[in-house]
Amino acid sequence: MNPRPLSVRVNGQALRVESVPDSERLLDTIRWRLGLRGTKEGCRTGGCGACTVLVDGRCTLSCLTLARDVEGSEVVTIEGAADDPVGRTVQAAFRDAGALQCGYCTPGFVMALTGLLKERGGSTSVGQLLDDLGGNLCRCTGYVAIVRAVEIARGRMP
Amino acid sequence: MPEFDLIAPTSTEEAVAELRSLPPDEVAVLAGGTDLLFDLDQGRALPRRIVSLRNLPWRTLDWNGGALTVGSTLPLRALETDPDLPRRMPGLYRAVRAVGGVALRTRATLGGNLARSAPTSDLIPILLALDAAVELVGPHGTRTVSVDRFVRSSRETALGRAELIRSVRVPESRPSAYVWQRVRPVNDISQVSVAVAFSPSEGTWRVALGGVRPRPVRVPEAEEGLVGPRPAGDRLSRVADRIARHPALAGDRRASDEYRRHLVAVLFARAVGIASDGAGGAP
Repeated sequence: MNPRPLSVRVNGQALRVESVPDSERLLDTIRWRLGLRGTKEGCRTGGCGACTVLVDGRCTLSCLTLARDVEGSEVVTIEGAADDPVGRTVQAAFRDAGALQCGYCTPGFVMALTGLLKERGGSTSVGQLLDDLGGNLCRCTGYVAIVRAVEIARGRMP
Repeated sequence: MPEFDLIAPTSTEEAVAELRSLPPDEVAVLAGGTDLLFDLDQGRALPRRIVSLRNLPWRTLDWNGGALTVGSTLPLRALETDPDLPRRMPGLYRAVRAVGGVALRTRATLGGNLARSAPTSDLIPILLALDAAVELVGPHGTRTVSVDRFVRSSRETALGRAELIRSVRVPESRPSAYVWQRVRPVNDISQVSVAVAFSPSEGTWRVALGGVRPRPVRVPEAEEGLVGPRPAGDRLSRVADRIARHPALAGDRRASDEYRRHLVAVLFARAVGIASDGAGGAP
């Protein structure tokens, strides 16, 4: 019974992924089986946020999640961010603020901020959003522009 | 990562039976997985089978008067976004927010944190201060154990074979505080932490320390020194000096003995001040 097929929705598509071992992390399924390399592996221990994706609308560390344990869920990766109005708003805010240097942390930041805005809506303060983004690290230390992107995205929420 | 089979039973009976069907070191329990996946990667756990609790109806949160019962598999993020928690149990709210980042707390659970029983747990100290208890379910039925008796040392708890944590109960809302010191404020492990809570019904304080070995501890000698809802001044300073001499405050790779003792005195006075502001009553 193991490995076995995995049923999961990714970026709006219902997928049946063949021969997935139960021990596989969602991060590895996304990157290596589905070829969606936008999601990054940083620390693989839950310390950096680079692998953040949405699972049923909530920001989730794909490195600390077994793919099998989210069977039947809806997963959104950075490749699907633009299909959602909030995701589009966040991406545009990062672009307009020039909020990326090497870019490695950016997909995680975009998905985390998208998840937070979807969870809490436009009523959340910038301070709260920044506090809640504390789990995402930028090793270029490009935080000034990232903070600006958060302000822009928050300001453009309905 | 080692290979294993993942199963997700839909009833407590089935989950308990699965846990009983293999020797204890060949089966592991998955709640949020944020500790377990790390242990699997490190080779610290080598189970043949993992029992996921995701299909059990334990993602619950119930207020009954001022008492709170949290299902063991409720994600910490769901607990922290409960609209009543910050006001009724501010210390627990702060402690939950001290665990990792939001994307980690989307999966991490109260039950998982207790079962891991880490000396550096941010949740155990405040649960000790709030006099919380865990409800366990296993082959011989259910039982309730105080968190103080449940936690033994790192990775060691009162859980018997095939026993699971079903819920965590905090008996009453209390003015409370949780404060800590770390190298980095987010996504780091506390060098030392202090939890305090004042029980209006009993008129007494409970004090607990985290980041100490072999486990977070209550400090009865500090509790006795705190009188009334707003301790302050010389009396509070004397208790702070006393708590800084606690034998569990030894040095390790995160903080020296001297630094940790200094921190705990400062944090303790700060925690009592925060909780006193919420405690009301005459100064």
